[in-house]
Amino acid sequence: MINGTSSIAPLEEPQEQLRILIADDNDSDRLILQTIVRKEGHTVYTARDGQEAIDIFRQESPDIVLLDALMPNVDGFEAARTIKQLAGDNLVPIIFLTSLRDATSLADCLAAGGLDFLSKPYNRIILQAKIKAFASMRRLHETVQRQRDEISLHNDRLIHEQEVAKQVFDNIAHPGCIDAPNIKYLLSPMAVFNGDLVLASRKPSGGMFVFLGDFTGHGLPAAIGAMPVSEIFYGMAQKGFSLQDVLREINKKLKRILPVGVFCCACMVDLSFRKRSAEIWVGGLPDVLVYRKNSREVECLPSRHLPLGVVDNDRFKTETTVIPLELGDRIFLWSDGIIEASNDQGEMFGEERVRQVIARTENQDQIFSAIEAAVEKHAGRGEQDDDYTMVEVSMVNEEDVGEYFAERGKSFLAGGPKDWSMTYELRPQTLREFNPLPLITHLLMEVPGLRPHSGKIYTILSELYSNALEHGVLGLKSDLKASADGFARYYMERTQKLSDLYEGAVKFLIDHHPVQDGGVLTIVVEDTGPGFDFQAKESAEHKTEGYSGRGIPLIRTMCRSVRYLPPGNKVEVVFDWHVDV
Amino acid sequence: MTANPEHHIDIGALQDLKEIMESEFETLINTFVLDSSNKLDELAVAIAGRDADSLRKIAHSLKGSSSNICAGALSELARQLEFMGKEGTTDGAAAILAQLKVEFDVVRGILEKSL
Repeated sequence: MINGTSSIAPLEEPQEQLRILIADDNDSDRLILQTIVRKEGHTVYTARDGQEAIDIFRQESPDIVLLDALMPNVDGFEAARTIKQLAGDNLVPIIFLTSLRDATSLADCLAAGGLDFLSKPYNRIILQAKIKAFASMRRLHETVQRQRDEISLHNDRLIHEQEVAKQVFDNIAHPGCIDAPNIKYLLSPMAVFNGDLVLASRKPSGGMFVFLGDFTGHGLPAAIGAMPVSEIFYGMAQKGFSLQDVLREINKKLKRILPVGVFCCACMVDLSFRKRSAEIWVGGLPDVLVYRKNSREVECLPSRHLPLGVVDNDRFKTETTVIPLELGDRIFLWSDGIIEASNDQGEMFGEERVRQVIARTENQDQIFSAIEAAVEKHAGRGEQDDDYTMVEVSMVNEEDVGEYFAERGKSFLAGGPKDWSMTYELRPQTLREFNPLPLITHLLMEVPGLRPHSGKIYTILSELYSNALEHGVLGLKSDLKASADGFARYYMERTQKLSDLYEGAVKFLIDHHPVQDGGVLTIVVEDTGPGFDFQAKESAEHKTEGYSGRGIPLIRTMCRSVRYLPPGNKVEVVFDWHVDV
Repeated sequence: MTANPEHHIDIGALQDLKEIMESEFETLINTFVLDSSNKLDELAVAIAGRDADSLRKIAHSLKGSSSNICAGALSELARQLEFMGKEGTTDGAAAILAQLKVEFDVVRGILEKSL
């Protein structure tokens, strides 16, 4: 009391003004307490029993409650319980005023929701300290509550944003042909936020692209890259670009937009139903497995490249592996989620287990679901939290996946250029580096009447072009492709010879003229090669077996005429179209 | 009656209390005296009616308030009565109540003098 006033400002923050409820049935005790508390600068409400305390609490919702344990009517314990209920989520520190000393009574106070005791006789210093401590506890609680509310608000917003993002993504990444009968896939609905991506598209040539991507990271950063990837994939696939072109474009885009350390492990398959082959590129994903239907053997294609978005395009490699496929052969692609799925001992599922499952699954159609079940059993997780992504692509007859239509249901075919011709000669440097088919297809599709036939026209162009380039200019022998072994050698030689190409050319002469309700398209492709004995070849064509030789006979079924011109380095195709009136 | 008031009241503590209470001190003393007189009557009724539970409650309250007013000896006598009540008996309580009344008169004298 002697040092009651001090001229030196204390370093403490200014005393917080609280509203404090005091409930004590003893008049003199209540008077002492309320005087002390009031002198500390707080607002005091007083009650004479438990019921009054509850009523005042309801009206005033004070910050701290000082509650005598033994009171008439409603006692302190019961009042504490009711007050805690009224306070709900808010922390209202209740301090019991008591001269009870026995452990049971003190425990009762705590059980009723009291946080502390203040024993009689009251000590002003202790009372002060307790009020201060509980005031800061209350503030802390309020801060935590506010932060909790903010976090939950933030989380709601994040979930909402993810839903919006997913919707945008779904609009861009339309399913393509992912539901084609020769594809099975496992992909969680929110996989895009795990960074996983599965895309599939038919090609104008009738083939099919399948793409599996796995971005580093999670959440929106992982999802953002998925959008340009799918846009490029679908856009370029429909225009007839090659697997290499699509991968280069995706790589270029990702390298440009993604921050360092974010990239996309990927695998892309170009499936040709007519050639019964698949061209496969793997960058950073687990080994692709090829299951052979007849031998029941499993071949393994390991990743040979860096993931997409890591290096600039001048260092980006698009070498692929081309494999022949028989009907019923299957290709398995997966993200590392499957291979690395761990059990509770931290043991990964691993490729060996995959092979075991394949080996013991009698019915080949059940391999996919057997692997799925085995992984889930191994990891012991429900379907809810999986981030497994897996695709099975099978070789089937083209008829079984349906015909490709670029623009189904377009009936308006008038307008556009109908009467024109062009010559387009590709010389060595261009042949080495450029695929002319998308450009030529694009030009032809300016004729509206040709659009419904884009698949056929692309097939014709690509067959003529690859014959002219590979057999004419590069001098490759197609009979190499008759065996599985030669098939791979053929493509190796093709790559080699193409990169060494310094003379030769392929020339397109394209002519279109209109007729009544339609038009006639004439395509002549000429190469600088020596030509070949086309008469002998034509008579033998129907006997051709093996992995090659399906091209020209197929084209014959698509157009009015296919004619070789001597000495066999020039071929002319005439294609008619009519509007169905 | 003991000559030394310190045996009945902690005079230093009472002085502190007086400074804290300022103008309210008189009210406090009057309230305490009135309240305690009532409690002595209530205690007599409880003992006469062998009501151990009432004995415990009233004595408990008196124990608290007399400790707050710095009357240690009075508080101690009230504690003895509370203990008996808790044990479920009023036997011998009358004798302690008699001591308590004497003690209360002394305390009251000191308190009124301190005003």
